[in-house]
Amino acid sequence: MSDPDAYISLISSLPGSERLFVAKQPPLSRLRLDRRLTALKPEDARVLKVLEHALNWSDYDMDVTDAQAIQRCKEALRDIPQPTLRKLFLERMDLRTVVAALRLRNQGGSPPVGAYGVGRWSRHIPANWSDPSFRLETPMPWIKEARQLLDAEDPLGLERLLLSVSHNQLKRHAARHLFDFEAVAIYVLIWNIFDRWAQSNAQDAAKRFEKLAKQAMAGAADIDFEGVSA
Amino acid sequence: MNELVLTLGWLGIYAPMALGAAASAIGCSIAGMASIGAMTETDGGYGRFVGVSAFPSTMVIYGIVIMFTLNRDVTPENAGGLFGIGILSGIALMYCGIWQGRACAAAINATKEKPEIFGLALAPAAIIEGFGVFAFVFALVISAGIS
Repeated sequence: MSDPDAYISLISSLPGSERLFVAKQPPLSRLRLDRRLTALKPEDARVLKVLEHALNWSDYDMDVTDAQAIQRCKEALRDIPQPTLRKLFLERMDLRTVVAALRLRNQGGSPPVGAYGVGRWSRHIPANWSDPSFRLETPMPWIKEARQLLDAEDPLGLERLLLSVSHNQLKRHAARHLFDFEAVAIYVLIWNIFDRWAQSNAQDAAKRFEKLAKQAMAGAADIDFEGVSA
Repeated sequence: MNELVLTLGWLGIYAPMALGAAASAIGCSIAGMASIGAMTETDGGYGRFVGVSAFPSTMVIYGIVIMFTLNRDVTPENAGGLFGIGILSGIALMYCGIWQGRACAAAINATKEKPEIFGLALAPAAIIEGFGVFAFVFALVISAGIS
């Protein structure tokens, strides 16, 4: 258990995490966030770095293997002493394991035999491979929607669903931590979700722009530009 | 033996003042840190933040009044009573002060985002203040029975 009053000034100096998702402009840039995080004690800063390194997809190489990713998660777990952070880390790993299994099955794969995930469901899933939701509807009620989005080939929708599930998990833990290190770490993880969310919105906007531009250009084939017919 | 009993009596007289001062110092520092953090994030309302962070300072005032009420010649007959009332009221004040500081810090953190909930956000701190007043008033009432 961390000191409950360790980071009162730091937490109070950050915009509320709820505001991150409603603001038109990001209320806090990564640069500013990093500047605020210099107030962390060295050991806490190290734990936060380990946590982010294991959870952020941007920290993984494109050609990383399942075994390497699992190894990184296991190493991270050894370096995180706070029970709440360990728990939320494992919850995120459970989520990723289930999504990895859903994707594998969606591609027509057979039940995985080797290392493909981390956590308590990694043995349960191959044993229930034929069940549409791997018999996990009760602990993971979002799995049905995730499966439908995967079947509908809607990666953006799936990304948003997973970000929303992760956000809800973090909010649940945040309710028990006000001004301690766990509160800071949860805030940073929520900021990362917001960042991913904002990026997915930008990608959505870019796709929509491309579609509209194509439609407009199709209709403009016969327009006479400066007297020169297209 | 009498010396020990008399020492406990004196300890009881000064305890509410000492523990009340510790409570106010810790509580005000907790709420004060929150108000400093909030000031870096907001563009106004600084006075309100500082005002709220001074809430736990009332605990030391209660402690001083209890100390003066208990202050009398210490005898082997009254030392036990002075010790009991003084120490227990001091502990109550100390807990109230520390937790009031945390409640004020949470209120400051919340009102920096939503200034309109300022009054409601202070309700937990006010309720804790009420518990401190209970400890204070009944320490005065009970101390009247000590010779």
